[in-house]
Amino acid sequence: MLEPTDNRSGLVCVGLNYKTTPVEVRERLAFPEAQVPQAVQQVRGLPGFEESVVLSTCNRVELYAAHSLPSGDHGHATLRDYLVEHFKLQPEHAEALVLYNLDSAEAARHLFRVVSGLDSMVLGETEIFGQVKAAYKTALDTGATGKTLNKLFQQAFTVGKKVRNETTIQRGSTSVGSVAVDLAEKVHDLKQCRVMLVGAGEMSRTCAQSLLSRGAKSVIVSNRSYDKAVELAAEMKGTALKFDEWEHVLHEVDVIISSTSAPHFVIKPEQIEQVMRKRRWNPLLLIDIAVPRDVDPAVNEIEGVYLYDIDALQAIADEGRRERERQLIACERIIEEQLEKFGFVKPSGSTQHGFIVS
Amino acid sequence: MTSSQLLLIAATLTFVSAVVQALLALKSGAWKQGRAQLMLMALGFALQTGFIYFRGQEVGQCPMKSLSDILVFIAWSIVLLYFLVGSAFRLSLLGVFTAPLVSIMQIMALVGGFAPYKPKGQINALVELHAAVALIAYAAFALACITGVMYLVQERMLKRHQIGGLFYQLPPIQGLASAIQRLVRLGLLLLSIALGISFALQTSVSNPKLVFSWVVWALYAVISILMWKHFTSPRKTAWLAVIGFILPFISLWIVTHA
Repeated sequence: MLEPTDNRSGLVCVGLNYKTTPVEVRERLAFPEAQVPQAVQQVRGLPGFEESVVLSTCNRVELYAAHSLPSGDHGHATLRDYLVEHFKLQPEHAEALVLYNLDSAEAARHLFRVVSGLDSMVLGETEIFGQVKAAYKTALDTGATGKTLNKLFQQAFTVGKKVRNETTIQRGSTSVGSVAVDLAEKVHDLKQCRVMLVGAGEMSRTCAQSLLSRGAKSVIVSNRSYDKAVELAAEMKGTALKFDEWEHVLHEVDVIISSTSAPHFVIKPEQIEQVMRKRRWNPLLLIDIAVPRDVDPAVNEIEGVYLYDIDALQAIADEGRRERERQLIACERIIEEQLEKFGFVKPSGSTQHGFIVS
Repeated sequence: MTSSQLLLIAATLTFVSAVVQALLALKSGAWKQGRAQLMLMALGFALQTGFIYFRGQEVGQCPMKSLSDILVFIAWSIVLLYFLVGSAFRLSLLGVFTAPLVSIMQIMALVGGFAPYKPKGQINALVELHAAVALIAYAAFALACITGVMYLVQERMLKRHQIGGLFYQLPPIQGLASAIQRLVRLGLLLLSIALGISFALQTSVSNPKLVFSWVVWALYAVISILMWKHFTSPRKTAWLAVIGFILPFISLWIVTHA
């Protein structure tokens, strides 16, 4: 068991995130990217403060600072007042503001968890690592960091990498969109992958966007309402196709995402058998998001065809989440070991992991 | 026990530890495109090369005459091609599938034993080249077989929605299908060269070694045409690459006892 040491007594973190604060409040307290350098300087310029880093993402706003005030409570109060004043919060909003106030070892532990993706909405997601890096670089470039925060953030990046390298916290897909990408990547080289949307529902749009963001070559949109197909195709820099024409291009695409509202099967085995002959057995991935289903399940029996319906996708995403949760203990253990190694805690007694919330 | 055999035992143990390391890493979910795996394969290859060198010194020629020697030479060629092909095709996990086959072949060689060769007069470089190229061709067929197994495993997981573990480590099935084709073509090309050399050597057409080599050549020529013309699905061609390797494997035993 680990016990905090007091060798980082000047380190504080004040913040809010998606767990403590609803989006209506978070959006009011977010620092626009262009204003972060100025905010970093303002925090550093507060009485008794020496260093600062401002992390502002859609899910969190956190101020990390090193100070020479008599206690951490003074530091927390000063940072809270800064936020209230900076965002010109009305007294009732300021009163209702819920922040977590962390000192030394707790602040370091929190940052290590954030960088490792353990505090993220999607457990183990990797985007936050880049966001923290960018926040630190902004502070570094403006000269707002010093010995304490430089060391802390370098340690945090080391811990983040260690957690990702030594566990499988980021493995597996946790959303239907990312499952679709994973599957497409295991069937085709994504860079050569042509995607077709049959029906322009919200979830198929999400899947197609995920595929495009990971490098899919092109997208074709076919929808009963041609105008909607044109609109969606324009949004994704793809091609729109009239609904009675989609069958003619089936053999040219590698991934089909179907989400029509038809009450019967739209894609049948005999169609796909013909398509596979034309494709010279080039594999085909079918993602059927529609309920009732668009694709006859017998299609999965055809060689080289891989069919996933919404339940199959959801089951994979659920398993991905469970797998990440199973990794959580190993990740926390690595973080505790690193806290001890970097001298934030000593290996005796016990420590509380919870936040001090004001 | 000779020093060459000790080297072979060490090489075999290295490949077995590569298998164990990979299985443990996969089981714990901590498998990465591993440096440890690569190091073990490289060490195994170095030890194999040492064995072939010392064995060559012992028998006074390229050690490719007895079944045990042939098995080791093919195992060596498989690892050589693994380093050349694995990185070119970005076939992650190929080592995991290669190491067990190499270990089995070397264990069979060790069990079979290494008898001294009959004294040989003048060494004909063309004969040695013919044998070496033919065995490297067999190694290419062996790698096609291994890649075929990888394809079938990945294909089965995709069909049955078994997403997890190995699934994330294996390459896309389209890439595996094209790797099988390239390996079969490479093996066929090398075997054609080896057989071409046999013409230069004016070997008798009824020589059993040559007859079996032509049978193997014909089999892979057919498989290659089926793949090239897309007469069969990639799944069936993967099966052909896997089952097809049985013939060259059996032919090795026959030709060394003929």
